[in-house]
Amino acid sequence: MNGFTRTRHSARAQRRNRLATIGFYTLGALVLLLIFWLLFTILSKGLPSLRPEFLIRQPEEIDPGGGIGPVLFNSFYILLISLVISIPIGIGGGIYMAEYAPDNKFTAALRICVESLSSVPSIVFGLLGLAIFAEYFGIGLTILGGGVSLAMLNLPMLARVTEEAVRAVPGEIREAGYALGMTKSYVIRKVVLPVAMPAIVTGVCLVAGRAFGESAVIILTAGLSTSGEMWDFNLFSPGETLAVHLWYVQSEAIVEDARQIADKSAAVLVFVVLMINFMFRFPLWLGNRRKGR
Amino acid sequence: MGADVESLASRAPKKHTEGKIKINAKRHSRHLFSNTMSRYYFLFSILALCFVLGLVIVFIGKTALLLFGNVSLAEFFFSFNWTPEEGSFGAAAFIINTLSLTALTLVIAVPISVGMAVLCAEIAPKWLTGFIRPVLDLLVGIPSIVYGYLGLTVLLPFLRRVSGEGLGDGVLAAALVLALMVLPTICRISDDAIVAVPRKYRDAAYALGSTRLQVIMRVVLPAASRGIISAVILGMTRAIGETMAVVMVIGNTPQLAKSLFTPTSVLTSNIVMQISNVEFDSDWNYALHMMAFLLLLISFALILIIRVLGRKRRDAQ
Amino acid sequence: MKVFKKFTVTALTAVLAVTTAFAGVASAADTLKGKITINGSTALLPLTLQAAKEFQKLHPKVKIAASGKGSVTGPQAVKKGIADIGACDWDASIDVPGFKAFDGQVANKVAVIPFATIVNKNVGVDNLTTEQLQGIFSGKITNWKDVGGSNADIVVITRSFGSGTRVNYQAKALAGGDIVKKEKNYKETGSSGDMKTAVATTPNSIGYIDLVYVSGGDIKAVKFNGIEATTDNVINGSYKIWAYGYYMTKGQPTGATKEFIEYVQSKKFQNGSLKKLKFIPISAMKG
Repeated sequence: MNGFTRTRHSARAQRRNRLATIGFYTLGALVLLLIFWLLFTILSKGLPSLRPEFLIRQPEEIDPGGGIGPVLFNSFYILLISLVISIPIGIGGGIYMAEYAPDNKFTAALRICVESLSSVPSIVFGLLGLAIFAEYFGIGLTILGGGVSLAMLNLPMLARVTEEAVRAVPGEIREAGYALGMTKSYVIRKVVLPVAMPAIVTGVCLVAGRAFGESAVIILTAGLSTSGEMWDFNLFSPGETLAVHLWYVQSEAIVEDARQIADKSAAVLVFVVLMINFMFRFPLWLGNRRKGR
Repeated sequence: MGADVESLASRAPKKHTEGKIKINAKRHSRHLFSNTMSRYYFLFSILALCFVLGLVIVFIGKTALLLFGNVSLAEFFFSFNWTPEEGSFGAAAFIINTLSLTALTLVIAVPISVGMAVLCAEIAPKWLTGFIRPVLDLLVGIPSIVYGYLGLTVLLPFLRRVSGEGLGDGVLAAALVLALMVLPTICRISDDAIVAVPRKYRDAAYALGSTRLQVIMRVVLPAASRGIISAVILGMTRAIGETMAVVMVIGNTPQLAKSLFTPTSVLTSNIVMQISNVEFDSDWNYALHMMAFLLLLISFALILIIRVLGRKRRDAQ
Repeated sequence: MKVFKKFTVTALTAVLAVTTAFAGVASAADTLKGKITINGSTALLPLTLQAAKEFQKLHPKVKIAASGKGSVTGPQAVKKGIADIGACDWDASIDVPGFKAFDGQVANKVAVIPFATIVNKNVGVDNLTTEQLQGIFSGKITNWKDVGGSNADIVVITRSFGSGTRVNYQAKALAGGDIVKKEKNYKETGSSGDMKTAVATTPNSIGYIDLVYVSGGDIKAVKFNGIEATTDNVINGSYKIWAYGYYMTKGQPTGATKEFIEYVQSKKFQNGSLKKLKFIPISAMKG
């Protein structure tokens, strides 16, 4: 600025710039306020009355004081199953679309198909899971069915996010790799993926968070009951998850403290999603720090 | 171009090794092998993805198309009369409502989300960004039924007070809830897209004496437009497909939304409300599957339009 | 495809065998085993879940998976073979308005479910007759002052078509009368919980719900034709809005399914947990 003469034009631009900056900050402040109010309403109802035994106790139908032990465990179990299935395939598919797929109409159509898939209401995936597992294989309502159906729901989103992340990696980095005589897969593994990783992790977090809170799919494929045991790794047990339990206590449960259980469950759900985000991001953040970025 | 580079890259070392040490050759063949294997792996992934895609489309489509054995295409698409218990399957109202709800949601959500993304990526100091991002991610983790419950107990009474309506349910309430739900999706993905814009573009623009606002509006946003469009699309598809929260605040009445506060129903909410109460082999069930299929088609069409518009704009620049 | 299916089923059973071998430490002297899948009405879910819990304590080798989505899902799931028991709020082995009979299914009565008309706490009316209810739900009466209340628009909140609660309420409280959608002040909800919350938070609203859920100060049950909605009035026959809850099975139940249904119908469960859940034992009704 110092060396330039201020024209009326540039002065106006400066003024606008300042106004815009204020505008952006105000917007940010408002949104943050809204989010905090929201979190506060959810957490303040649940957390203060939350006792550790709530997290390990069995749910009750008649007496107050029921917990969420098995359903919390099932939530993690089903989420894990769905991620184990969907992350390799989703990321692999995304990389294929970004790196290998020929740039033609078919690929474009496939991409749009994958995107439109996320607008299919999750209950339809539930019906599909019901048709596959309960009807075709005849295994009833199981944790396995829930996990796989949830994975199908996650796949499109994961693939798209990965594709975008990989595409955003500048071409010259890749070319530098090739110039060193690296094979294509080597370039993808050692050059492209590390650069794209933060965005991919964002995607995984979004997907995991959404899957953790998903209820419609689980109600239809894994049921609304648990086997009654706390650590039931049997893939064929019925697997009510926390989100489903929340839906149930909010919709149909008769116990007198249903409202409190719902509040507490909601608080736990939100809290767990926070932890998932933290767990995924922390190593990334550490890595960035070590690189001194 | 990618393929050329690959073949060049894989061919070059072969020649190189011919007269050289054996170990090197072994290593190269191992590299080539892993190259082929991972290629197959990626191919397998995409095929698995296509398989799931096909499965869903066939599953919905198969049931959906049975509808037109008994109900005419014209009735389904152009009639406003949805009384399935008496054999009228007109879905026009739902289709129009879905479109208007999605539009309203995006009108509210996109400016806010992109604004937040710009704030995170360009304006705010590092500590603030590092704070905002995880907080936004938290929004994703709130299950939709919690949004719905808050909509029912907090938003609706508020809207009732402001508008003086008796009920408050309708497109506006649904759009507000949805906007909040898609905000993190649009914001975080646009944020990543903006961050990915190479530094040098900005430097060049600043060197020309641009203000930050000018850099953002004329350089960064256009350069990141591809990613932002993807973000909007992902947000939009989520808005179109979201159910559990919408069901609680929209009123679930099969009629055209004539005002912001008319209790009404969209494709998704109608599917969810009714699919558990219909018989499997009835026209009603087929009609609901047709509506799910329609959701796919609608979002396909919307995405296509957004992409074409996006490309046109890019070409124009 | 057949071969593939066979293979997958075998593989799955193998996995199942291995996992149950690990889990099978809790072996009692009990010989009853099997897997029972229950689907259908959400209104009966609390009862089903409680019964399943108690039954599994008695017979640890029986696995019970329960879920709920809607009444008609019950008999349908039984028909398709997805479920062994289909919980339903009406007798699905005979025709009811809107739904045809499911042939070859047996209806096992398990409980009596009373329903109540509820209004928001700000509504001054505390008694409604069949005619008044018919008028309100068919949209002919739109203001509370026409039924003895203050001058305010009536907000009708109802369940979606096919809900067990709605089928029974229409049959008993409205004497078969219609529930007609309106341009304004009309809303459908998806579950009992949503109904309760909606009526509790919407001034001037009217709805209907299982009597069990009537609690808290924000909603109140109104009298039906001058008679209060209480379990006593249901049992002595003066309050008419109630219905049986059924477990539908394909033919007569056998094996673990039969034992389970018998457990639910047993005196111990009917007079114990079922009463505590505020359902009414089937033996209390005459006929």
